[in-house]
Amino acid sequence: MINPVFMIAIPLGLAFISLIFKKASKWILVAGVTINVVMLFLLEWGSVAMGGFRIPYGIQLMLSSYSFTGLAVVNIMFFVILLISFDKVEKNSVVLLTALAGMNGMILTMDLFNLFVFMEITAISAYILSMKGKKPEHSFNYLVLGSIGGVIFLLGTIIFYAQTGTLNMAIISSPVQQSAFDFSSATLFIPFFLIFAGMAVEAKLIPFGGWVKGVYGNADRLTGPLFSSVYAAAILFAMGRVFGELFVLNETIVIIVVITGLITFAFGEAAAFRQTKMRRILLFSSIGQSGLAVIMLALGFYFPAVLLIVNNALSKFIMFTITGKLQESYGTENYKELKGAFYKNKMTGVAFSIAALSMAGLPLFFGFYAKLNVLTALFGGGNWFIPAVILIFAIVEGAYFIRLLISLWAPGKEGEYADAKHAVETRKLFKPISVAIIFMLSLVILAAGLFPDFAGKTITSGAKAPFTMSQLKGGE
Amino acid sequence: MIRLASLILILIGLYGVFSTRNVIKILVGVNIMELGVNIFIISIGFVNGGLAPILTSGSFSSALNFVDPLAQAIVLTSIVIGLGITTLGLVFARKIHVNYGTYDLSKIGGGSDD
Repeated sequence: MINPVFMIAIPLGLAFISLIFKKASKWILVAGVTINVVMLFLLEWGSVAMGGFRIPYGIQLMLSSYSFTGLAVVNIMFFVILLISFDKVEKNSVVLLTALAGMNGMILTMDLFNLFVFMEITAISAYILSMKGKKPEHSFNYLVLGSIGGVIFLLGTIIFYAQTGTLNMAIISSPVQQSAFDFSSATLFIPFFLIFAGMAVEAKLIPFGGWVKGVYGNADRLTGPLFSSVYAAAILFAMGRVFGELFVLNETIVIIVVITGLITFAFGEAAAFRQTKMRRILLFSSIGQSGLAVIMLALGFYFPAVLLIVNNALSKFIMFTITGKLQESYGTENYKELKGAFYKNKMTGVAFSIAALSMAGLPLFFGFYAKLNVLTALFGGGNWFIPAVILIFAIVEGAYFIRLLISLWAPGKEGEYADAKHAVETRKLFKPISVAIIFMLSLVILAAGLFPDFAGKTITSGAKAPFTMSQLKGGE
Repeated sequence: MIRLASLILILIGLYGVFSTRNVIKILVGVNIMELGVNIFIISIGFVNGGLAPILTSGSFSSALNFVDPLAQAIVLTSIVIGLGITTLGLVFARKIHVNYGTYDLSKIGGGSDD
């Protein structure tokens, strides 16, 4: 059994080593990610106290079923992205290894300040990776917004520390502390809000996510899938932890989070509908999905939230990778200029379609199961307003994805049969091995949608409430 | 008092970030914000007339006499992170200047991707 801290330590250590051995750095990256994926299944579960200090005094890492699901999504998706877009890594191996360490840390840690440090590590690597888009002004914008978010988060953390005397989230929410402090009071609302606002920058929530358009809109075949599936999953899992431990304590903040999430979802889906550039469509859809997941996490519905995050990670990976390749081959990402691009690249097209239909929430696909669970949970909670808004904008979501698919599959003019003569010229997209990997992943979405009980069971264990007092003493 | 001063610094920094379009000035604003937060963190752990949190030959009448060491450790990490972000920000600023010949964000943009 391996201590979970190695999920953080090994990529971080290898990042330093690859600074020395620059020529081998790409292979060190591959080795690091592979070791992490293998190690994932050998980890020791439960709580780990760092540095030999007892838990309130030292940093605590927690490998519960919830954080395991997070680690699995992040590390496996990272590995797959690397497999397909290895040629795009260029000189970024060190950055990628650091990013992996930071994301694993974000998911594992129970300490608020430690979470801040890992968030900053992850964010700094994201700023550097965003430079691959060759638009320094967007990267700068991201850096400024991200560091303001970091400062706000740190301020919230410190006010929290001053008021409760600890940084350990589990201790703060323990019954002893709950009886000692009035968490519903207005004074504690301020740090709650600061922490939420700080995280919301990375989680792309409106109005904090002003950087997303520039960064995602210029992302390539490596950074696009990385930002939209891996980074997004990591920050959402970390947010779930903070919500589950802290925000449950204060009703006002939950209401604010839900409203922010709802506005984000509505805005994201509505904005995606108006776009013609494929990356724009995907980025606004990512914003929307992020908002939806945040709503579910804030209301304590972990199972549907985890389903949404997993579905988003799988589908957005496939779609961003294929979009990136289309942009590379055809030099455009406007779907109206890519009519019938899948006509001759059928395998790639089928994978893209499965991902898109799953995002749109059509039955038989995993996304349907996720959305069904979202709505069931919300209706079960006696709420009708939130599910009504979600349903309306889910129709919008379905509409733009299906419109996109029709354009990419059926080269035709209005009122005419689709015909190959209207299609763009055929260009080779992926190598057969890459097509096979992407296709396999799309089959995972399909299989998870066809046999939801199996997928559900795997994820149910991951969606258990992130904390119980017994976990503090170690063991699940 | 010192906490109030640090909060004012944070607000000045925030104003600085949003009131200018000059890349370097924005970075200065971010730095002022970070400075404010760092002073705030230090002020949390400060005890008037307190002892350093190390083994000393002085009196151990109460643990409350000690200055909180955690706040100092946190501020150290926070300063390092701030330095890293500033450096990276300056790299981006340089790139912007190389690409567009200006530090003013309002003179850039309006391109096809905006």
